[in-house]
Amino acid sequence: MAIIEVKDLIKEFVVVRKKTGLGNAIRSLVLPEKKIVRGVDGLSFDIEQGDIVGYIGPNGAGKSTTIKMLTGILYPTAGSIRVCGLSPQKERKAVVRQLGVVFGQRTQLYWDLRLGETFELLKRIYRIEDKRFKATLDMLNDVLRIQDFIDTPVRQLSLGQRMRGDLAASMIHEPTVLFLDEPTIGLDADAKHAIRGFIRTMNRERRMTVVLTTHDLDDVEQLCSRLLVVNHGRLVEDGPLDSIVGKLAPHRLLVIELSETAQAPEHARAKILRQDGLKVWYQFDKTAISASELISDLSGMLPIRDLSVQEPDIEDAIREVYRTTG
Amino acid sequence: MSEIRHYLSVFGYYAKLAIQRQLEYPLFLVSWLIMIPTQYFAGIWMLRIIVDRFQPLEGWAFDDLAFLYGLGLLSHGLVVVFFIPTWGTETAVIRGEFDRLLLRPLNVFFQFVTGYFNFIGLIDLIPGVVIFLYAAHAVDFSWEAGNIAKLILVVIGGLFIRGSLYTIVGAVAFWTKRSRNLIGMSVATLERTTMYPLTLYPHVVQAVLTFLFPIGFISFYPAESFLGKPASLELPLDMAIWTLVAGIICMVVAYSIFRLGLRRYESAGS
Repeated sequence: MAIIEVKDLIKEFVVVRKKTGLGNAIRSLVLPEKKIVRGVDGLSFDIEQGDIVGYIGPNGAGKSTTIKMLTGILYPTAGSIRVCGLSPQKERKAVVRQLGVVFGQRTQLYWDLRLGETFELLKRIYRIEDKRFKATLDMLNDVLRIQDFIDTPVRQLSLGQRMRGDLAASMIHEPTVLFLDEPTIGLDADAKHAIRGFIRTMNRERRMTVVLTTHDLDDVEQLCSRLLVVNHGRLVEDGPLDSIVGKLAPHRLLVIELSETAQAPEHARAKILRQDGLKVWYQFDKTAISASELISDLSGMLPIRDLSVQEPDIEDAIREVYRTTG
Repeated sequence: MSEIRHYLSVFGYYAKLAIQRQLEYPLFLVSWLIMIPTQYFAGIWMLRIIVDRFQPLEGWAFDDLAFLYGLGLLSHGLVVVFFIPTWGTETAVIRGEFDRLLLRPLNVFFQFVTGYFNFIGLIDLIPGVVIFLYAAHAVDFSWEAGNIAKLILVVIGGLFIRGSLYTIVGAVAFWTKRSRNLIGMSVATLERTTMYPLTLYPHVVQAVLTFLFPIGFISFYPAESFLGKPASLELPLDMAIWTLVAGIICMVVAYSIFRLGLRRYESAGS
């Protein structure tokens, strides 16, 4: 059984259209021009336990709205949601006990107080026994190194430390599913590395399911076994990153540096994109010919000094999805 | 039973955290310590002037009025300690602060209200206690067990009536995204309607303040009863019991409205 089951999910918002000018403001007061907007428009997907799923899409695609419905914060307009077999709306308390949720742009830590105070509060909220609490905290400390700043007031933490604190706070009650809404936003390379390491460890050692929304494609590349791409509230791609990128941008580039001037020969299964002095760019489809085949074909015909194969840019591929479905 | 213990232990820790947070800003505390008592002593001073210049209001002499005012201030002080988050419902709705409460396996209304134990609000109790003690002495209030028990019921009932009024008015923000101004109005209305004898107002207003928003039960009806004045509202049993009953009914209604509002909660941006 899938740990998250979403079927025909719809969320509508009522938006009042505002126009400029006082006259229009008064008119809209008397007769507001209401419009129903679908933030989420018929989503269906299942997520299996132990998966790390990237949930991506452009701003306003309905990512946060979906996460909020999955975690019981918002009521869907229509459709059904099952998380751990239960409805997050009807059985909110039972469901949220199984969930850890981190919003990258907001914190659940007490701003004025030392980090440890929030953990102590959560210990009482989730009714965690002393022994278990200590063991979890030790485990979290091994991965996140929170011991160094557990006695520092949260307002004095760096963004990276705060995010590690927030991750730890969301894990205190040992959830089975972790929702991360842009967990690496605004972080430096080091902090990003630490957080990705943490997600991988929790997934591997505890078979924790992770649903991750992000705009950072490095997160996706390094963590996610599967991608759900949404745009305008609809699912537009679903599958492993490789296959999505392969489908959208099947072309690779072979860049050859020549040792002396030569006319680059045509090749039946590769196209010369351009030649510029001693450099030649061949574009080829990796399903039609492998890089090594192409290189061995060309090496007989060209004086090659150096060469490199360029993978398609994920960023470009994803931008392409957003554009074509936009 | 273990459920109640659980909620109590969370409440205890919330209170501890709130006190610690407030102690982080001592100057703020001092400014309240000066401001609040000044405000209420000015209020009682106004009463004195009114009664001195004119005649006793509807047969209520200054000492009686002080008793009424002081009794009302007791539950006011407690509402400021226990229900202050309801005043900020608007902000909480706009900033999406209910998100986090909804993510925790506890009752949301409980978390919202007890999440900030406003111990600075105890300062609000100072003028109430001083004025009430003075007036109790002046009107020869007898401090016997029965009266003390009634007094406790009245203060708790008054706390519930006030708290539920603020809960309802605050919850308007779930529908309109705005309720702070309404809260301001309610605070002012509550102060005025609990400070003077209800019989001063037209009958329609009296009816509204008795049956629709039972503000009359906070201080006026119990004060009449304590002071041995002819009862404006004839009811079996003691008025203190009715104050508590009114408080509990109000709280149930307020909680239902809050829950209805929470279903309409739309969270915020991202």
